[in-house]
Amino acid sequence: MTQKNRKALLSIVVLVAVVLFSTALVTAQEQTEVGTPRATTLIVDQLDGRIDNPTQTNPYQAGTRFNQGLHQLAYSNMWEINTATGEQFPGLAAEMPEALNDDYTSFRISLRDGLRWSDGEPITTADMAFTIDMVLATPEFPYSGFLSQVVDSYEVVDDLTMILNTKRSEPRLGYTLGVHIWGDSFRLVPKHIWENEDPATFQNYPPVVSGPYTLADVDPNGNWFLYDKRADWEHTDVGQIFGEPGPEHVLFRFYGTEERRIIAGIQNQLDIFTDISPEAWDILRDANPNARAWHENFPWANFDDPCERGIVFSNSQEPWDNQNVRWAMALATDIKSVGLATFAGILRVSPLAVPPVQVIHDAFHKPMREWMTEFAFDDGYQPFDPNYAVDIAAILAEQGVEGLPDSEEALVDLFGVGWWKHDPDKATEMLQAEGFTLDNGAWHKPDGSPWQITINSPSNFEVQSQRLAFAVADNWREFGIDAAVQQMDSGTFWSQYSRGEFDAGSYWPGCGALPDSWDLLDAFWHKRHIVPIGQPAPGNAMRYDSDALSGILDQIAPLPSDHPDTIPLLTEFEKQFVVERPWLPMFGTSKFVPVITTYWDGLPTADYFYEGPWWWWSLFKYHMPFIQPKSDG
Amino acid sequence: MQFAKFVITRIIAYVLVIWIGITVVFFVPRFMPSDPVESMLGRIMTRGNYMEAEQVEAMRATLTQAFGLEGTLAEQYFGFFHRTFLTRDFGPSLSLFPTPVNEVIGRALPWTLGLLLSSTVIAWIVGNAIGLLAGYRSRWLSSRALEVIAIFVYPIPYYITALILIILFIHINPIFPLFFSIRGDPPSLEFISSVIYNSILPAASIVIVGFGWWVLSMKALSSSISEEDFVYFAKLKGAGEGRIMTAYVLRNAILPQVTVLALQIGTIFNGALITEILFGYPGLGTITYNAVLQADYNLLMGTISISIIAVASSTLIIDLLYPFFDPRIRQR
Amino acid sequence: MRRTSPRLTVGLTIFAAFIILGVILPFFSPEDPRSWIRHPRNLPPSAEHLLGTTNLGQDTFWLLSYATQNSLFIGLFVAFFATLIGVFAGLAAGFLDGIPDRVITLLADVFIVVPSLPILILMSSLLQGRASLVLISIILILFNWPWPARQMRSIALSMRERQFVNTARFSGSSTLQILSEEILPHIFSWSMANFVNTVLVAIATESGLAVIGLSSLEEATLGTTIYWALQHQALLGRRWWWIGSPVVAIILLFIALFLISTGISSLSAERRGHGDA
Repeated sequence: MTQKNRKALLSIVVLVAVVLFSTALVTAQEQTEVGTPRATTLIVDQLDGRIDNPTQTNPYQAGTRFNQGLHQLAYSNMWEINTATGEQFPGLAAEMPEALNDDYTSFRISLRDGLRWSDGEPITTADMAFTIDMVLATPEFPYSGFLSQVVDSYEVVDDLTMILNTKRSEPRLGYTLGVHIWGDSFRLVPKHIWENEDPATFQNYPPVVSGPYTLADVDPNGNWFLYDKRADWEHTDVGQIFGEPGPEHVLFRFYGTEERRIIAGIQNQLDIFTDISPEAWDILRDANPNARAWHENFPWANFDDPCERGIVFSNSQEPWDNQNVRWAMALATDIKSVGLATFAGILRVSPLAVPPVQVIHDAFHKPMREWMTEFAFDDGYQPFDPNYAVDIAAILAEQGVEGLPDSEEALVDLFGVGWWKHDPDKATEMLQAEGFTLDNGAWHKPDGSPWQITINSPSNFEVQSQRLAFAVADNWREFGIDAAVQQMDSGTFWSQYSRGEFDAGSYWPGCGALPDSWDLLDAFWHKRHIVPIGQPAPGNAMRYDSDALSGILDQIAPLPSDHPDTIPLLTEFEKQFVVERPWLPMFGTSKFVPVITTYWDGLPTADYFYEGPWWWWSLFKYHMPFIQPKSDG
Repeated sequence: MQFAKFVITRIIAYVLVIWIGITVVFFVPRFMPSDPVESMLGRIMTRGNYMEAEQVEAMRATLTQAFGLEGTLAEQYFGFFHRTFLTRDFGPSLSLFPTPVNEVIGRALPWTLGLLLSSTVIAWIVGNAIGLLAGYRSRWLSSRALEVIAIFVYPIPYYITALILIILFIHINPIFPLFFSIRGDPPSLEFISSVIYNSILPAASIVIVGFGWWVLSMKALSSSISEEDFVYFAKLKGAGEGRIMTAYVLRNAILPQVTVLALQIGTIFNGALITEILFGYPGLGTITYNAVLQADYNLLMGTISISIIAVASSTLIIDLLYPFFDPRIRQR
Repeated sequence: MRRTSPRLTVGLTIFAAFIILGVILPFFSPEDPRSWIRHPRNLPPSAEHLLGTTNLGQDTFWLLSYATQNSLFIGLFVAFFATLIGVFAGLAAGFLDGIPDRVITLLADVFIVVPSLPILILMSSLLQGRASLVLISIILILFNWPWPARQMRSIALSMRERQFVNTARFSGSSTLQILSEEILPHIFSWSMANFVNTVLVAIATESGLAVIGLSSLEEATLGTTIYWALQHQALLGRRWWWIGSPVVAIILLFIALFLISTGISSLSAERRGHGDA
């Protein structure tokens, strides 16, 4: 090496050292990496990972992403939900839709007074009319097809009132054009911006929005998205309903793997987490005293996520077209071992077609517990085990878990009403009665071939379902069936489901956040959605053809949610569902959704329950007025 | 004359290789169980809008047309070559529709090239230097120690090395940033320094994993060359140790290493994936991975075609230059 | 005259230990270590559980033994066939002129330029299922034979011009004789090194696929063991026995193979009359 080279090398080393030192100093000054003050910036996990088209914010284009804050903060919806009360409420709209006839095909819709777009222009029915016309006239938008099946015509009455006529009876128009789970695709856009653009190709960056925050800056690589609070926040629905949002800035930020997210939490660089595993929560809890999950103590997790997990069968194929076989699989499953292997027992069981979220648990699971206990097969066998909650609590207590409630009532509240017995002998008897044979500890189908079950499972994008699939397969192998888990990416996972080209799978066709979940039950179970195997199904991907279930759904269809017959009919549906057992729902979803309270007061927890922890839903914007900078720091 | 013939056959082979490679990559994804339209439909329908069968059918037709997936495979295939090589346009990304593939790749490519080229070259230089010492000076304690380190480090799986680096230098001893963020605009000093600062750890992980192989292979090469007759004669002639090492041993051992380095450019496009996932580094790896998972044919063809052309070209260049270094091969 | 090399001895000893662990011991396993919740979770090492238990209630020692078996299978299977096919294809290309050379070179180049990871991801999402360890191995062979082939071809090309080959040719030996007596010994040590490296590449690629969730995750391999340990945060949770045992196993396995390969090459160098220093 020559003298000259040595000098060059030395200067590079010095440069690198200076760079390291100076950048380290900058980070020490309580600034976020995007240059906003840490104390007024709420940092939130980015659910969908890196966004490779960060400036595509046209809300109707097929490839636009929303979970990076766009639908949580920037776009308000017509009607929103409050998951704490289980009710819908008007967002941009002033009232819930008012039906003008008994067929539910004509509605008066009014907008809130005083709302403005983020550029200061008022939000009026002209924008709404423009949005409807524009979407209907742009068949390139996937949503266009849906809206055209809803909207027949409209009539603008004044700046804030519109009459909307629908093509079909819409007793739940608030569900159709508003949020009842996650978010809704009907998003108003400003006429004065969009009317001069070609909507199919318009990028819409930076977007002019209706929500309380504007998209201020994005990372060209899609790793972060910065939102600023609107100065005119009082002209948004959030401001009008709940008051001034607390955080000046909200930073959606992708940290990567779970390890990195935990480290970020330990270093107070992440305030609200997306879901993490129980193991990760243990580490975070030990390392950061300000880390807090939904509950302060065991079970930590929130059980109110609106889709329950379990094992789905492709019901039109044998042997799954046989009710007794499906029941036998339930009795061959040791639900306690599945729960322990899946999420260390931190789960609430559900034997019904709707998830055990608090409002639904109170409306269906608990009232039906006695009926389920009494429920018997034709031969008098009673399959229900109401003692799950007490038993799992005993196991957990033995493992050293502290803070478990004492009373049975509280335990049932926590761990659920019970599930089906683990009774391999009865399962064996039932299968043998159907012609299955047990040979040398291995089951064979009636035609003599060895019985193999393949359980489709998500690969990594849904940890609880993935672990559940492995745990159930493990259980069934123990029982003597050659069960294997086939992990797949989401494209394959969903397209096999929709085409019915699967055997069994840990899908989740049991959703709902409100007591009236007719529309979801209908989509999952009504026989009119059934298409032949190989074709993508618009609903009922299980291809479960039941006159009884479809009949009950047809009776509920014309009733609005508050009709006195709605809940009793839904209960009838649940009873018939238990008898027919088309799939095996097992657990509600447990979300730890940890928060770090170092910089913020008022993050949603069980002790401050103004709203569930669904910050990846569009209702996150309504959290903002409750979240305030820590007063003492 | 013979050399011209060699060049021509080599160039024909080059074009053939690219054509076969791209053809393979065109057809293989189309036999996957998922396709881009279903994948997009699945994503739209899980957003909570349930549609009647005929509406879903209409949406499927719309997307199929918008995605350019109408017509037979053969038509799509010729359409692809026509569009790609005449207009250098890979079309819109299907999973990020309608953002163009060129835009997505254009943003990510500089990061991938910057990180992987520099760290691969550093690993190559460090590894070969140590390997040369270890091979030629195999009795030195320090060269033996370095070799032993290389033997131990080389087999550790990449993601373990990367995770250990993250835990050591981001978690326990936070010298490096957890969050990849670039400040300033491209030509400024602030920009350059933040790129360097953010890239040190990912680059280090690649160097640590990569240099072991160069040490081991260089050591094997140089120790066998040290035993060759011409080195012995050079020693008899009284050439200095340093001169023997560089002019005789290194010169002969470096050729195969250069070849392998050129071929390694291909693994640059592979290796980026886990680095990007673990370090939150921008680049082509995650894009390719997501493209596979969401059956985004256009994006996949974009990234893989670039990779194929880059590797084939560097192989071609090496092959054409080789005869100048090693006259024995000029005949072929 | 020294006939054994200490490197070879050490390498073979470690490798023998792996054969015992991965080939013989699985037959004596008291249980199928892949099944979950067999034992209390996260136990430290004890006489009953030599390496403790995992967060999934598996016995880490027996899990390691199964994992070693499968990884050895993948590694050796892939390395053997990739090296064998590669060496012979490369030699054929180098020694036979014309069409065979062109075709082999073209094929090898195609597999070199097509990036393997996207194809592997594509393939594993196509082929995921019961037999996937064998299928993964076959795909790995497809992508690993061109490297030795290309190297072999250039070695063969340069060797054709070397003195001892010409001498042999002039003395009237047949091509086969030249190949087996003169050339094969010469390339043997190179092939060994390639073999050892391919074992590692195969194990590493399989475990890389496992880490992004694309291997057959119910099978125990060293890669899937690492995958499950990482999934359950064994690294940050300091469950060293679980995460550490497969990593240490991979390192030791590689060192053993490396020592064997250098040991053999120094032995053969000795036989050819060059001392090992």
